[in-house]
Amino acid sequence: MQVTIPDNVKELIAKRGLKESDVLDVVNTAAQTNHYLKKGTDGLAKKVIGDLTVYALCDLSGQGTAVVKSAYAHKMKLGKIVNVMGESEWKSVDKGHAIATGHVEIEYMTVKRNGPALVCPACNEAWVEEYLATKTLAAAEGLFEAKRA
Amino acid sequence: MGYEEIFPPVDSKWHGNAAKRFASPFVDNPHDRIDVDPIILSNAAVSCGYTIRDFYEKPELGIHCVGYISQLFDLLPVTHWFFSLPWVTELGLKLVYKETLPPIPTGPIYSDPEDIDKMIVPSKEELINKTGTHATVPLFYKIYDYVAKNLPMTLVPISYGFDLVGAAAEMVGVENFIMWTFTEPEAANKLVRKYTDTAVNGAEALADKYGMAMLIVGSVLANNDIFSDETVEEYSVKNMYYYVDQCFKRGAGPQVFYHLCGNHETDYKLFKDGLMWSPFTVIHAGYQGRNPFPSGLLKETFADKATCMGSVDTKLMIDPNPNKVYNQAKEQLLAGRDSKKGYILGTACETPPYTLPGQMLALVKAARDFGTYGTW
Repeated sequence: MQVTIPDNVKELIAKRGLKESDVLDVVNTAAQTNHYLKKGTDGLAKKVIGDLTVYALCDLSGQGTAVVKSAYAHKMKLGKIVNVMGESEWKSVDKGHAIATGHVEIEYMTVKRNGPALVCPACNEAWVEEYLATKTLAAAEGLFEAKRA
Repeated sequence: MGYEEIFPPVDSKWHGNAAKRFASPFVDNPHDRIDVDPIILSNAAVSCGYTIRDFYEKPELGIHCVGYISQLFDLLPVTHWFFSLPWVTELGLKLVYKETLPPIPTGPIYSDPEDIDKMIVPSKEELINKTGTHATVPLFYKIYDYVAKNLPMTLVPISYGFDLVGAAAEMVGVENFIMWTFTEPEAANKLVRKYTDTAVNGAEALADKYGMAMLIVGSVLANNDIFSDETVEEYSVKNMYYYVDQCFKRGAGPQVFYHLCGNHETDYKLFKDGLMWSPFTVIHAGYQGRNPFPSGLLKETFADKATCMGSVDTKLMIDPNPNKVYNQAKEQLLAGRDSKKGYILGTACETPPYTLPGQMLALVKAARDFGTYGTW
């Protein structure tokens, strides 16, 4: 798999405090294991690296290539699935499971609460979409830190 | 003279303790006692010698009264100001002030289902640039800028979706809307969605300015006194989910307050797996039939999802018998206080404008007597 990160995405990665090497690690691991989600020609992979769960959203329309469209991360740890609500357009590549919208238990600073996520009930696994990770959960992490303080 | 010159400064010692207590249900760090939120609005103005109309007509005065009087009863350390019809003037309704009520519309502006196609959802920019007394975004910018300047420690920018079904219904008249849910469901759905989209654009305008915006959204008209469970789900639950999801996409949240106002005797269970739950979510239910919604049932249904807020009947807040408040609050506290993600003691809706001080004291005393952490 040839992985490309366009300059504008490199800027976004830096702005979000992520490392390009970590993003490449996420994509390469997904390519090796086939463990990622697909919607149309988009692929979404994640990997826990240190205290972060790092995501890479890639354009997989080219043969044997992945062009990183975006990357993001959250500090909260994802736990068990809380509920399954509706269908999503995502499917898991390795197992072909339909991915649903729903909620997952999230843990941060020893506090467990719920958050919206993409969920695979068959594998008990969850993914957080970019808007939720970069807006809702990022703000929630800040609030947890402030309120705990 | 600005309104800030009327009030002594907020007691920082009180505020520090109240802020710790306020945070505690959300971070599993119990402090002091269960918090009390009687959803104080124009009662704060009345308690400071002003009128109900003053509260709504002079919003900076109103919100300062809320911040000030909250100290008297050791209530929440945050301020709020609202009424139930945000965003409607942007969609064409005219609101008028009343002496004893929040602003109300002069009447519906649409009567035919075909009219709904002509309704235009204002963009975020149009909402920001809207002029007039009731223009929602400028109004809340003005209020929060005042709080940021004069009561900064109490500021929580809030965007109100409030009653997505009830506010939309005002556009065509509530009775007409109820009829449409039977005869013109497509138009009724479209109407609620257009109102909801307007509220989403407004939430984005507030989140852009303040970095975040707590969301308050309720199911008020859509309750079991008016609608079947199926209709509540179709018009209210689905749009509440949509509202919060869309607001999250635009950077509003992550705090959410769900207010199930009125009788939710059987429809309450539809909200459990129908709403979006963030790490900072409170769910509040008013009544089950004619009685306050039992905190035990609230806990059983929602404790895995969110912080639960129980209810004391608002009628008791003006009944000259403080013990009725105290005993009902005790019952609700004992049933709800160990809710897994925290519990707040509330009233079933806004505490009445002429709430008796002795009844407010009884509410808080019950929280002290039966809601102090470490005593159960």
